[in-house]
Amino acid sequence: MSEPRGNKAANNRQSGGASLQKIGTRKRFSAWAAHHQLVAVETLIRLLRNPLGSLLTWMVIAIALTLPGALWMALDNMEQLSGRFQESGRISVYLTPGTDSRDGLALEQRISTLSGVSATDFIDADSALDDFRNNSGLQSALEFLTDNPLPAVILVEPPLDIGHEQLMALVTQLKAYQLVDSVQLDMAWVERLQAILSLAERLIWVLGILLALAILLVVGNTIRLAIAARVDEIRVVKLVGGTNAWVRRPFLYTGLWFGMVGGLLAWLLLILCWLLLHDPVGELAELYGSGFTLKPLSAGAAMILLLAAMLLGWLGAWWSVSRHLDEIEP
Amino acid sequence: MARSPGNTMVRFDQVSKRYPGGKEALSGVNFELERGEFAFLTGHSGAGKSTLLKLMMLMERPSRGQVLVDGLNLGRLRAGQIPYLRRKVGVVFQNHQLLFDRSVYDNVSLPLQIAGYSPLEAGRRVRAALDSVGLLGMEKRNPVELSGGEQQRVGIARAVVNKPPLLLADEPTGNLDPELSAEIMDLFMRFQQVGVTVLIATHDIALVERLGHRRLILDHGQLHEDATIAGGQYV
Repeated sequence: MSEPRGNKAANNRQSGGASLQKIGTRKRFSAWAAHHQLVAVETLIRLLRNPLGSLLTWMVIAIALTLPGALWMALDNMEQLSGRFQESGRISVYLTPGTDSRDGLALEQRISTLSGVSATDFIDADSALDDFRNNSGLQSALEFLTDNPLPAVILVEPPLDIGHEQLMALVTQLKAYQLVDSVQLDMAWVERLQAILSLAERLIWVLGILLALAILLVVGNTIRLAIAARVDEIRVVKLVGGTNAWVRRPFLYTGLWFGMVGGLLAWLLLILCWLLLHDPVGELAELYGSGFTLKPLSAGAAMILLLAAMLLGWLGAWWSVSRHLDEIEP
Repeated sequence: MARSPGNTMVRFDQVSKRYPGGKEALSGVNFELERGEFAFLTGHSGAGKSTLLKLMMLMERPSRGQVLVDGLNLGRLRAGQIPYLRRKVGVVFQNHQLLFDRSVYDNVSLPLQIAGYSPLEAGRRVRAALDSVGLLGMEKRNPVELSGGEQQRVGIARAVVNKPPLLLADEPTGNLDPELSAEIMDLFMRFQQVGVTVLIATHDIALVERLGHRRLILDHGQLHEDATIAGGQYV
């Protein structure tokens, strides 16, 4: 049994001696990996050696990525803002008109002991009318009223971290009290804001896809020019037995580098945007009595941006190479 | 000597090649080259010499007939297999097709890089190939700095560096003076002596007659053996 196998091995060695199949699989793989490394470095050097031409492509990619990136950053901040409003959503509990102030105060006491309530405030009908008179500018008109049309109100503030379901349970609980006429949760505008934000998100997607196509075209065209500049080399490589993958490789890496550097530049531009807007936004928020500050793009989002840029660069190169490479034959 | 299939390097079976536009470059060509054989391919310009060589590299495909190289039926090769055929066939061109944006070393090592040799092994082989064409020590030069004859030798070194079993040359001495031409031919004959099958297309009849090897003559797409030395007596 061992003899035939030995013979076979000897035969293989012999027949392989003068022909091509003399490189083992492992060696072949390490050569393949080494070629990837070599090509990656070579293509980067090639790009850096012509910084002006490369910069143009990099900047186009960077700007095309900065636009959706900036919108993304804005949206992220708006969501943070709306979240904050949602957290501070107050519940107004209107009591049946004509309720006695002492009963109202007693009810406030009971409500303040409920779980899911962090603070309460009782405003009786008279002080509600006073407030309205002072703030509305309808002072003279209100003089004609014989009765106080306003109900007494208990303002209920849930804790900041209350969940939606808990909040709804609290509302149901409050409605159940006999003295309570109606309960209003100031959520409608928060929901409206959220609808606007989801629309904006959709818009970012549309814009992002359009700009991604633009990046594909830009990289594709740049790679097409790179291929045209290296037609002789490609012809010779194919002549001496270079596979299509081998010929494609440097161009794919070039696309990858275009995407990566463009993505990094976009990141820098977004940081620059943030630096420029951070202080004015802070001042504006302060004028509205809010502690809101503009957050930069998170590290995770920046990574996604970078990876998307690399993928787009690679895809653009692939598209261009697959279109033009077959035309070049020795 | 019997011609067993294992002994045949190249075989053309009723091969015709018609280019789009109707011009028939080759019509019904039949011939065989045995392993280790040395032959010239002659004929007037436009007789189909380049076409015949291109068919062996699959730079062209025949309109009719079969081409076999090293036992491979080229008609059955898929596009993805063509590179592996070309690694078995070294080619030398009249205009040598060197890349002037890189050194002599990088030009010659290109086929080895493609075939996946380690830099160490490739280095050994490149130096051996350059040594065999008498250009050792010129690795770092750019081909532009070299003379026409030297450039042609770099092209030959690149063609043989991967030790292909078949070596083709298309007018390799077309631009060279007679003395340099003789030197280049001498080189080819030395490769034949180490077992390489060599086919050289040339119209330098004087040189061919002086060297006296097997001659394939193309005339308007038809192939004839030279009657005086036909028969493949070099095997």
